[in-house]
Amino acid sequence: MTELIEQFSSELAARTAALQGAVAAIRLPRERHVSAIVWQGGVVVASEQSLPEREEFDLVLPGGAEATARLAGRDAGTNIAVLRLSQAVSPPVLTPGEAHAGALALALGADGTGGVSARLGLVNLAGAQWHSLAGGLIDRRIALDLRLARAEEGGPVFSAAGAFLGMSTFGARVRVLVIPAATLERIVPLLLKDGRVARGWLGVALHPVAVPDALRETAGQPSGLMVMSLSEGGPAAKAGVVPGDIVLSVNGAQALGFRRIAAQLAPESIGRTAALRIVRGGSVLSLDAVVGARPAA
Amino acid sequence: MSPAPQPALAAGLRVLVHATDPARREALRNLVIDAGHLTMDSPLAADAVLSDQIDAALGGFAPMPEHGGQGLFTPRELEVLGAIGDGLTNKLIARRLDISPHTVKFHVESLLRKLGARTRAEAVAKAREHQRSNTVEL
Repeated sequence: MTELIEQFSSELAARTAALQGAVAAIRLPRERHVSAIVWQGGVVVASEQSLPEREEFDLVLPGGAEATARLAGRDAGTNIAVLRLSQAVSPPVLTPGEAHAGALALALGADGTGGVSARLGLVNLAGAQWHSLAGGLIDRRIALDLRLARAEEGGPVFSAAGAFLGMSTFGARVRVLVIPAATLERIVPLLLKDGRVARGWLGVALHPVAVPDALRETAGQPSGLMVMSLSEGGPAAKAGVVPGDIVLSVNGAQALGFRRIAAQLAPESIGRTAALRIVRGGSVLSLDAVVGARPAA
Repeated sequence: MSPAPQPALAAGLRVLVHATDPARREALRNLVIDAGHLTMDSPLAADAVLSDQIDAALGGFAPMPEHGGQGLFTPRELEVLGAIGDGLTNKLIARRLDISPHTVKFHVESLLRKLGARTRAEAVAKAREHQRSNTVEL
């Protein structure tokens, strides 16, 4: 038994040592830092929400070497930021793996001087894909049963076998989430190429409301999304949408929730017509909006 | 494994929710995060208004909200809520919306019930938070 525990412990330590080349620190003001993943090709990947609005960053690479990096792109939708290093590095090759609820997860962070900090916990949840509030699609919902210091956000998360599960980040209520490896692999190349991820945009702030009883039959549905405000000159405003309108459907997809409408605004939707069915002043009308590209936050 | 939050954490959260200075907010946020994560069954999270404010104050990468279609307000109820928020009495609300005071009373009662609020002030506070956390820009 003692041997087993010792073996378990030394395996974890060995795993951490072997993977620490994948963890860098990004310096922040006031002696603080956040963690980042050293990607292939002189690129560093970090949690978008943890980075201040800046173009240049000072980093501490694995082993303690100082480096600078330029922001290549950031996407609030998937919470991914990508930096280009001014010098070459050779990180360990990360082999992506799938997260399974109940399995062990090893979360690494940067200590700020070239070393790593480690956290061990269970994969608390490994669910289906989800949409973030900022409109991004995350391939899987992965939550960890462990705590993370602020400085450790953005580090890599591994399975017990050493497979790369993704990047750690804070969700609502300081819960530790993982941006899956699949999402990183999808978004990082887009950010390197364009600096941003294009996403369809109508330029409306929507809030769910019940359709008034008198209109329920005409509307054919119990609820819709009311336009609380419009972006001036945005696609919806140009189409003639006004505050107070209740959106019933977009391209036939009923506006019973946000996700169904967000799904109509995939990157391919930009430039296409979105057919809006709307309740205004007691009657139902149709408006066509040309989907725009969501401006950078 | 969901320990009750320590009194210091609870106090820190309450201060955080009401702090307006950005630097102070960030420092408080860091303290709260270092103190440990919050669980849904903590006494603080049970307070619906405060828990929404806590979520807003702590930030984090949040999912798009989704509603079950139940207990939603009608546009008229939202207008009445706005008028209550402006401090109007039922009589003045009736005048503003050009409806009878009796109808206003009916809407106000329905609003209090849907929000689980005892007073008009509580209803306004709860409705504001609900609206803020359930409005999405697309």
